[in-house]
Amino acid sequence: MRDIAAAALDAAELAGASYADVRVVEERSESITVRTGRVEGVASSETMGLGIRVIADGAWGFAATAEATEEAIRAAAHEAVALARAAARTWRFPVRLADAPAVRDRWRGPCETDPFAVPIEEKISLLLTADEAMRAEPLVSVTEASLDSLALTKVFASTDGAFIEQSYTEVGAGIAARAITDGEVLTRSYPNSHGGQHLQGGWEAIVAMDLPGNAPRIAEQAAALTRAALCPSGTTTVILDGSQVALQVHESIGHPTELDRVLGDEAAFAGTSWVRAADLGTLKYGSDRVNVVADATTPGSLGSFAYDDEGVPAQRFDVVREGVLVGFLSSRESAAAIGRASTGCARASGWNRIPLVRMTTVSLEPGEWDLDALIADTDEGLLMETNSSWSIDDRRLNFQFACEVGWEIKGGKLGRMVKNPNYTGITPQFWASCDAVCSARHWQVWGVPNCGKGEPMQVAHVAHGAAPARFRDVQVGVAR
Amino acid sequence: MSAHEAAAELARRALALADGDEVEALASFEHAALTRFANNRIHQNVVERAHSVSVRVVVGGRQGVASTDRTDNEALVRCCARAREAAVHAPDDPSFPGLPDPGLPDASFVPAAPDGPSLLDAFDADARAAAAVAIIAQSSERGLTAAGTVSASVTGIAVANSRGIDAAATRSAARATVLSMHETGASGWAAWLGPDAASLPADSLGDRAALLAARAVGAGPLEPGTYPVVLAPDAVADVVDFLGYTSFGARAYHERRSFVALHEGEQLFPESFSLLDDALDPATVGLPFDFEGVPKRRVPLVDRGRPVGVVTDSYWAARLARPNTGHALPAPNPYGPLPLNLAVEPGTASIDEMISGIERGVYVTRFHYVNIEDPVSVLLTGMTRDGTFLIEDGRLTKPLRNARFTQSVVEALKGLRATGRDRELVGTEDGGATLVPPLALERWRFTGSTG
Repeated sequence: MRDIAAAALDAAELAGASYADVRVVEERSESITVRTGRVEGVASSETMGLGIRVIADGAWGFAATAEATEEAIRAAAHEAVALARAAARTWRFPVRLADAPAVRDRWRGPCETDPFAVPIEEKISLLLTADEAMRAEPLVSVTEASLDSLALTKVFASTDGAFIEQSYTEVGAGIAARAITDGEVLTRSYPNSHGGQHLQGGWEAIVAMDLPGNAPRIAEQAAALTRAALCPSGTTTVILDGSQVALQVHESIGHPTELDRVLGDEAAFAGTSWVRAADLGTLKYGSDRVNVVADATTPGSLGSFAYDDEGVPAQRFDVVREGVLVGFLSSRESAAAIGRASTGCARASGWNRIPLVRMTTVSLEPGEWDLDALIADTDEGLLMETNSSWSIDDRRLNFQFACEVGWEIKGGKLGRMVKNPNYTGITPQFWASCDAVCSARHWQVWGVPNCGKGEPMQVAHVAHGAAPARFRDVQVGVAR
Repeated sequence: MSAHEAAAELARRALALADGDEVEALASFEHAALTRFANNRIHQNVVERAHSVSVRVVVGGRQGVASTDRTDNEALVRCCARAREAAVHAPDDPSFPGLPDPGLPDASFVPAAPDGPSLLDAFDADARAAAAVAIIAQSSERGLTAAGTVSASVTGIAVANSRGIDAAATRSAARATVLSMHETGASGWAAWLGPDAASLPADSLGDRAALLAARAVGAGPLEPGTYPVVLAPDAVADVVDFLGYTSFGARAYHERRSFVALHEGEQLFPESFSLLDDALDPATVGLPFDFEGVPKRRVPLVDRGRPVGVVTDSYWAARLARPNTGHALPAPNPYGPLPLNLAVEPGTASIDEMISGIERGVYVTRFHYVNIEDPVSVLLTGMTRDGTFLIEDGRLTKPLRNARFTQSVVEALKGLRATGRDRELVGTEDGGATLVPPLALERWRFTGSTG
């Protein structure tokens, strides 16, 4: 990989690039899915390629190829320079980049037991056991269980002198039980919906999830949902579980504070942001209890690395402190546009994509509350758990989320279960209504392996630390 | 060598190396380029050359799949070995019907598409930049800011299996999109997708978006409530795509997660509504066969208001005892077969006629970030963007701020008032494409507004 990177940089300079960087990425993955007792797929994949990014005539160009031959590398470098020159005709000023150190380093993420060393039969057996435990509930007619493993090594090198090799392993797993009646699909998932929980680590993390042990409980809850009342409509207090708070942070704080969105680079597809660059340090984003940190050094998180895909060191920095916007997620180019240093958030989803400003581990810091005490402190409201649907507008203001299950809270006690709960709001008003966040005991990092952005589309692996939190005067039961 | 010839050669090489009772190889060669602009300049200009091969090995009733993007023999041997290893360790699946057979009427041989010059030979970096410049100019000359893409891809796909399927074709298409923005935040949108980049109407596309942006200035809020709507083709495509995803695949039908399972054959919608999947329509962009190499059929899904069918692949055709319609996705596929080339049959109304029939309603150019709240009723929520207008007394009067909707598509289609006569192809150059006219619907529930 080292030789390939060096050859690519040489070729780019010879082709006329004033700056070039290259990422050589080798990836191995495996996925196993079980559905309603049937092993639907046992699949593995290997991929390797390189992407050459250049500045020529003051503009960007990028070419990626799966062929690592000398000829293919040279052709890609020439093509990248030609693309930059074609783009340059629309540029009035050349690309400016914030400084980055020319680091030479190596980093490896945490992994105790290599998931690829675990026999396939053992993995299948784990999923089938959990699947069978869910199907013991008669009202559950469709079940799902899945397990994913990924091992990735990438080399970043630049004409500034950086040479960085990073490797890490990711695992993810989850189960879902669906009770399907005529006209309704009622689902409970564990540890999270949309494929479960994902993190950096090894087989030990899968074992710790205890999928079979949690299967009967979620199957029972899926069945109970068939008898539950529909979520009432109105305005009330809402307590969200940690996984839903994580997604709320993702959509309404993480994305709007990506500086490329703020600057308009994503306008046509993902959209812009309700936040302006000039708002830094003054914008009231939420209540004083809202403290949000971006931390690419969080151990075992999907959003962690030692260097981003521009070679900028991983950082921990405040995004929102006591409710005020104080930081942006940025790349070298976007940071330079506002006269700041990069916060190290440029990430590419693979060798064939350019780095974009992406989330790392963007977390709501824990508060002081115990969850039981928080419920006891709530006269009337709803506790909602596990996301089932999400939607937010192109400026990240108007959102609507649905959860798998809710429970009414009356007089400080959990009451009856409700089905199909949802809530809607406007970002700053919603975060301003946050009056309590649960303590570190309830706080955990939730992996989000499906964050889409960019054209061509990139799916990033990011994460959010979150604990249950309470929000006042929330509109719930929309169209129920 | 053309893209599909390269893919066919790779698929055959992998097939020869694979060891199993039955084996299948799916190969692709892709050359894709995308010129992206924002703030009236090209800020991302990228190209990708990729290839991959995926091998499915069947041992008894057990299956395993492995893929690689290396094409040397050593890598292919390793890939085939991984697929076999996965198959050997998978449990036996008595319901697996075997790979499709070209000897059956459901899986006849599909000849390779004719060779020809690649779309990207002529539509190179300079040509794409020129198109982007022309699109941008329509906004910048009016004091507006443009963002969007000009892109093209050429992908050769080949499927070969040990039963004799040997299919290959090249899918190529170009696409352009433009969002034009006024300093107040008002915006307009236009998009184009087609098989021939020479037909890309760059100037008029930029003009359409800029006109819409200028017209959207001064938007006011929409009071939440239920309104008649006219949905432009982009908005219709979003809705129809979700309909296809939730309801017209064999798996959702079998699991009774689809309204089709509950209402098959009933007169659920007005007779003026017909929906089908047809990858072979010359107006769309699609492959002539699925990812098992089975020819795609034209499948009526809603016939004059009656839900009549779902799409299948080899597994679900056998399971449901229905014909194989040729809608397999690449194995392994937890979603089951899906329609990727949906088309709504056109009506007779012009867009002006559709608007003129509404006393007070809403015109929607495009939706944003739509998601499913309930799959059975296809209850969706999402936002409008880039040109939402109030309709009063049969004409567009005031621009509206972006509004949130929460609406069952099944219920909305029951109130179909009119179907447009002019269809547009909406989608991406490398994925599915949906051919839709504008639709006028009696009831659409708006549940919130931004600002």
